[in-house]
Amino acid sequence: MNAPAELKWAKKYPELGTGPVPVESCISPEFYEVEREKVFMKTWLKVGRVEEIANVGDYKVKKLNFAKTSIILIRGKDQKIRGFHNACSHRGNKVVVESGEETFGKSKAAVVTCRFHGWVYNAEGALVNVPEEEKFSPCFTKEENDLTKVHTDVWEGFIFVNLDPSPEVTPLKEYLGEMGEHLSNFPYDKLTKCFSYYTYLDCNWKVAHDAFAEAYHVATIHAGSFPNAFSSGLSDVQLMGPHRTTAICLSLKAEPTPVAKIANGLAAASLVAKRGASMLPPSINPSRREDFSFELSVLFPNLLVHVAENIWFTHQFWPMGPGKTLWEGKYYLAEPKTNSQRWALEFAQCLQRNAWLEDTATMEDTQIAMESGAKKFMHLQDDEILIRHGYHTLENYVHAK
Amino acid sequence: MNSTITATSLPKSFETLETLVPQWALATQNERQQKRINSSTGELQAFYDAVLPRLEDILAHVDKFPLNELPADSFRLFTMALSLAEVAPHIELYKGDPKVPHSFDESRFVAEHGDVRG
Repeated sequence: MNAPAELKWAKKYPELGTGPVPVESCISPEFYEVEREKVFMKTWLKVGRVEEIANVGDYKVKKLNFAKTSIILIRGKDQKIRGFHNACSHRGNKVVVESGEETFGKSKAAVVTCRFHGWVYNAEGALVNVPEEEKFSPCFTKEENDLTKVHTDVWEGFIFVNLDPSPEVTPLKEYLGEMGEHLSNFPYDKLTKCFSYYTYLDCNWKVAHDAFAEAYHVATIHAGSFPNAFSSGLSDVQLMGPHRTTAICLSLKAEPTPVAKIANGLAAASLVAKRGASMLPPSINPSRREDFSFELSVLFPNLLVHVAENIWFTHQFWPMGPGKTLWEGKYYLAEPKTNSQRWALEFAQCLQRNAWLEDTATMEDTQIAMESGAKKFMHLQDDEILIRHGYHTLENYVHAK
Repeated sequence: MNSTITATSLPKSFETLETLVPQWALATQNERQQKRINSSTGELQAFYDAVLPRLEDILAHVDKFPLNELPADSFRLFTMALSLAEVAPHIELYKGDPKVPHSFDESRFVAEHGDVRG
């Protein structure tokens, strides 16, 4: 039996145990249904950024496949962002015609109009105009036919919705709790140059999540793109209710390659380059470790937020079935001030894209192998504690009354 | 839509790169990525070897103009530097492999910024 001197995180969080974790929850259609109902239909989910709908009347429609719905997020004349199901009160058609996973629009009057028969709703969701209203029977009133509201709130510029139909849900701030405080005071709104990717993966959303929730893989999976980096372990792991966070520390060896060296001199845009003085809040990398690369935080259930010097990025995993996931990866940098900086960003971002292509390469193979039934359990080492906590949290949710 | 830049002039003092313009002066990241995927190792190496010695000159040149306000000839030159940003990891890190080794199928990765010029 392997007997390491000390399992640091297991010692800090003994309630998680150290045993093998069943793979059943990643392949079972029955588990998926329960998870959908008890987790995704009940928790706060990030669906956008305030900058995406910056002006009064701007709106975004986001598909949420797991719930068979899509949500209209619209900025009202009072600047408040509200969310509604994209379903017309008339005969149930989609109000906004969508193109793809996300659809954007603008309305000077801050209204949305159903294309089918021209019913008009304002940004508070009120039905404000019905063509030929007089032909409806007296039992129909506009006042009783608002758009169906969805709980919507904003934290640090991130727009969240909660699909729970109950009139009251745990407020977002309370749901995020300590994690909300931990990740506050970072200049998300100053680093707005966004490089955004998505793809559909033939794997369970947790398989995709888990592949990004540890640094154990850096030396193997990223031997191609980040040959100069190796994980020097997790630092400052903290579990905060259903959420979890750690510092990822990377030691950088070897001189950067010629083009990387020029790019690194122009802009702080790469995770595998030394970067300067701290813009990080005191809660992040509190000991100011030299080898700190980025903070990896999981906002339960499906959002990874990473903050670093001059960089932040997110991964999000949207379940579309037991073995299908929509993955979204977004990499945010400071807007370039010069053309040469713009070039340096291109270099850093292409390299980061390549690293993500390396990350996503494992996921479908993992799913297929899990579905073979050959292995009933996975084994997690101490620095994979975020994954362990994920399954632990999920169990608590699915068994909740 | 293919937005290949067809005119052929580069700013003065960059004339030696002229022969690379038809192949590598590509306005969008999607085009540059496709060009890299569909090139041979030899083509990537030749492009890298030709542009790397001029990279710092190119970057100094484009900084004579405000961000995103490059005249046509300078923009053409700039997009070749952007092509080098796309190609460099394949020469410097992946031993000349035109694809990212051991990676997910690139054609399934959708870049929302992929068709933006520059």
